[in-house]
Amino acid sequence: MSTLLTYVAIADGKVKRSSLEVLSHCKHLADAGGYACEAVIIDENPERFTDVVQNYGASKIYTIKHSVFSEHHNVALISALSKALGAINPSVFAISSTESTKDVLGALAANQNAAVVADVASFEITEDGVSAKRPMMAAKIIGNVEVKGSPVFISVRSGSYDLVENPTSAEVLSLDFDIAENDLRSTLREIITATGDTIDLNEAEAIVAAGRGVKDEEAKNLIAELAGVLNAGIGASRALTESGVYDPSLQIGQTGKVVSPQLYIAVGISGAIQHVAGMTNSKVIVAINKDADAPIFEVADYGIVGDLYKILPPFIEELKKIKN
Amino acid sequence: MKFLVSIKMVPDVYAPFQIKDGELIMDGDRMVLNAYDASAVEEALVLTEKYGGDVEVVCVGPAKASETIRKALAMGAAKGHHIVTTGTENLDSGSYATILAKFFDGQEYNILSFGKQSQDTDSGLTGGMVATKLNLPYTTNAVGLDIEGDKLVVKRQGDTGQEMIELPTPCLVTCSNDMNEPRIPNLKGIMASKRKPIDTINLEDLGIDDSDLLAVSMVTSYEYVPARAAGKKFEGEPEEIAAKVAQLLDTEANVL
Repeated sequence: MSTLLTYVAIADGKVKRSSLEVLSHCKHLADAGGYACEAVIIDENPERFTDVVQNYGASKIYTIKHSVFSEHHNVALISALSKALGAINPSVFAISSTESTKDVLGALAANQNAAVVADVASFEITEDGVSAKRPMMAAKIIGNVEVKGSPVFISVRSGSYDLVENPTSAEVLSLDFDIAENDLRSTLREIITATGDTIDLNEAEAIVAAGRGVKDEEAKNLIAELAGVLNAGIGASRALTESGVYDPSLQIGQTGKVVSPQLYIAVGISGAIQHVAGMTNSKVIVAINKDADAPIFEVADYGIVGDLYKILPPFIEELKKIKN
Repeated sequence: MKFLVSIKMVPDVYAPFQIKDGELIMDGDRMVLNAYDASAVEEALVLTEKYGGDVEVVCVGPAKASETIRKALAMGAAKGHHIVTTGTENLDSGSYATILAKFFDGQEYNILSFGKQSQDTDSGLTGGMVATKLNLPYTTNAVGLDIEGDKLVVKRQGDTGQEMIELPTPCLVTCSNDMNEPRIPNLKGIMASKRKPIDTINLEDLGIDDSDLLAVSMVTSYEYVPARAAGKKFEGEPEEIAAKVAQLLDTEANVL
């Protein structure tokens, strides 16, 4: 029986939701097609996550443990994934698309001589590989892609699939792994993170995104207050991350993060195609902009035409009332 | 430091397009230098202007792609290498990586630089594949580069923050367009570019035949992105419309 293997990524001491979305889909494909659904967890302490992962249907969970995985090192991740792939020999290897997995996917595919397709919105198993739909041309069109080979490596955009719990009692197998510091071939000097508690945009259920209309501290405070009421992550358009108003990690768009929360509120964002490419998969989109002709209104479910300084205070008040 | 920058001619994502019977119809003349590659060229120029060195570009593409190479030469690169394809082959990321790795294998360089992805396909695979084939240390999604001695120091945009990564040379890096604004070539640059050399290389020169380039992935058809259902737009008194939308998010959209 051939195997569909999902790499389950860990970030900030938690299993990434997007990994579990991919695992949920693989479980569905495995049940429908008679494949084995298995997972690999790579972390400094992977055993603590096996309970969560077996809840989503993996029948075997492989763990690779090493302190190097407290931070992202591409050589270490490639080496660990190669080890798992060698041991498991899956027909399909699926991962969620993040900056860390984007860093290794091409290199890993070349290293394993595998067929590969990146950043798909959906995929199915075919007789000789995988068929997938992937957004192209700044997400203005969808390409139907046929990938032939075995194994096929595939990365999936976050938010493409719903989480489906499927409690299983999984066999847990640990794979030996070691790597010397010299073998990393690069030195990670430091990681510069945004100050304060920020919610991971790939995982957020709600996002408040600021654009060019957010010009001063008063507007930034309103954005923060709105995000606070909704327990939302804060994102920004490229204009605001480039000018330093918001941290670069918060950029949403073709160049930055591709997000798909339940609720996306675009404040003072005009809606350039590169930005829309990063958020158009959100379930419900609200746009607040004083320009009634701004293209953002074309993708918004609820458009509010008005000055953000006048709209946000009563909007926040009403949301507070509803939340209480 | 000697930079070899890989550049690609891609369709302009702003150009109008149509899809008919699964086929994508675009104006074949609206081709541009991939924006991410333009940033890679710009950063290589900035660093060599500061520390000394050379910048050359390589482009795999049909005859028309020589215009894209001229653009990079007009920006300031010293030399172009054009690996000529017919333009009708089905090349995927793996095919490009095979061609480029063969080419780089015969070149001298300190740093191979790529755009982090093509703006038309957004796959972002080729750089990592080439690094593997050439066994080079690498990193991706650079938002800043600097040189310290014989090391390349990369500021990489990661998932949770910016990773400061030191790579020994020779190495490979892929660049985001967030690190700079690529210069617009001036008249002097454009005139100078006409005298700069472009060497033309055929796939046979690299010892590559069609069987080396079999694409494993292929776009079989295109379709429009499903349109979002038409939304509601509210204009009027700020207090009223703001409260109205907040209520609809609760009662109608059910997302609070």
